[in-house]
Amino acid sequence: MEKEAINLEEIYQKYRSVISFRVKKSIGASTPEWEDVVNEIITNVVEKIRKGEFREESSIGTFIYTITSRRIIDYIRQKSKVLKHVPEPTPYPHPHEYIENKEKAEIMAKAIKKLTPKYREVLYLYYYKDLSREEVAQKLGIPPRRVSERVNYSQKLLKKLIKI
Amino acid sequence: MRKCKFEDLIDDYLLNRLAGENKEKFEEHYFNCHYCFEKTMERDELISVIKSKGDIIFKDEYVAEEAKGETWLEKITSFLTPKQWAMVTVSACLFFIILLGVIPNLKTSSPQFFINEDLVRGGSITLISPVFETQTVPSQFEWKKLGEDLEYKIYIYDNGDVLWKKTTKENFIVLPEEIKKLLTSGEKYSWQVKAFSPEGFLVSVSSRVQFKINRPE
Repeated sequence: MEKEAINLEEIYQKYRSVISFRVKKSIGASTPEWEDVVNEIITNVVEKIRKGEFREESSIGTFIYTITSRRIIDYIRQKSKVLKHVPEPTPYPHPHEYIENKEKAEIMAKAIKKLTPKYREVLYLYYYKDLSREEVAQKLGIPPRRVSERVNYSQKLLKKLIKI
Repeated sequence: MRKCKFEDLIDDYLLNRLAGENKEKFEEHYFNCHYCFEKTMERDELISVIKSKGDIIFKDEYVAEEAKGETWLEKITSFLTPKQWAMVTVSACLFFIILLGVIPNLKTSSPQFFINEDLVRGGSITLISPVFETQTVPSQFEWKKLGEDLEYKIYIYDNGDVLWKKTTKENFIVLPEEIKKLLTSGEKYSWQVKAFSPEGFLVSVSSRVQFKINRPE
């Protein structure tokens, strides 16, 4: 019994952020119910494991992914039905999350500004201008592989700059 | 160095360039791969900041440049990749080689146009005499003059065959005695005049007029 509890705690710690990320990506981070949906999924996962419905036919990750995907589909269907009768609520971010995210974004923006033009340019074209890897490569006269390398290296530099 | 084969899909996923089964596979993957999930989170944060604050972040160097717009040369060169431009250049060269080298050799001689004299129906040369019937063998054939410097060719036919023909610049011709002898009383003949320009071009043809030499009573 104790073993099961530890496992569930681990699962909760490990997968909460993954489930949250997937839910926010699917229904939008500004949707007020996203946290409720995440909590429902976690409760559902725990219940199913306790009932022995996870038979290790697949990995635990895939098992949780399947439950998450089904709940997201249900939510979207439910939302679509509701929207037929009532106007969609205005999306709003959680005030704490908004402030936290805003501060993080400011720090990140400052860090990007500190990058050398070589790396800023690739971030600008690839993410801000939304060009494909090949288009960026063509504009900069470098192989497409080099674009990915520069983006990855930019990320490493940003990590260092933010830590400082 | 790449640690996971799915790592390359992170950007495509976050930039909504993955769809259907590929998207689902990647999502399932980051539920199982902590490394990819961490990378995805980090990259998502970076992209979100760039998307929301890009106009401020890149203001100094790029937004001003963007406002100027691409030059026409940049627009043209960015329209195709260098490889595609190379292909276009090679194709254009081949096209001109074919156009300038091969086609002239295949060219046949210039088209020649001929005027079939019999098909010209000017009809503006009016024949004056003889017409219909004559009491004696005509000694002179006369027609209305069309203009200066024209050359007339007179044809006398016996049953469709040319009996005699002669060229003159006058609007009449005197029949030689030896030809007069060929024309017999009671027979029908016809005649026609064609007019030619000084350059030798047919300009008009009269209608073929029949005449009969009556038998002496």
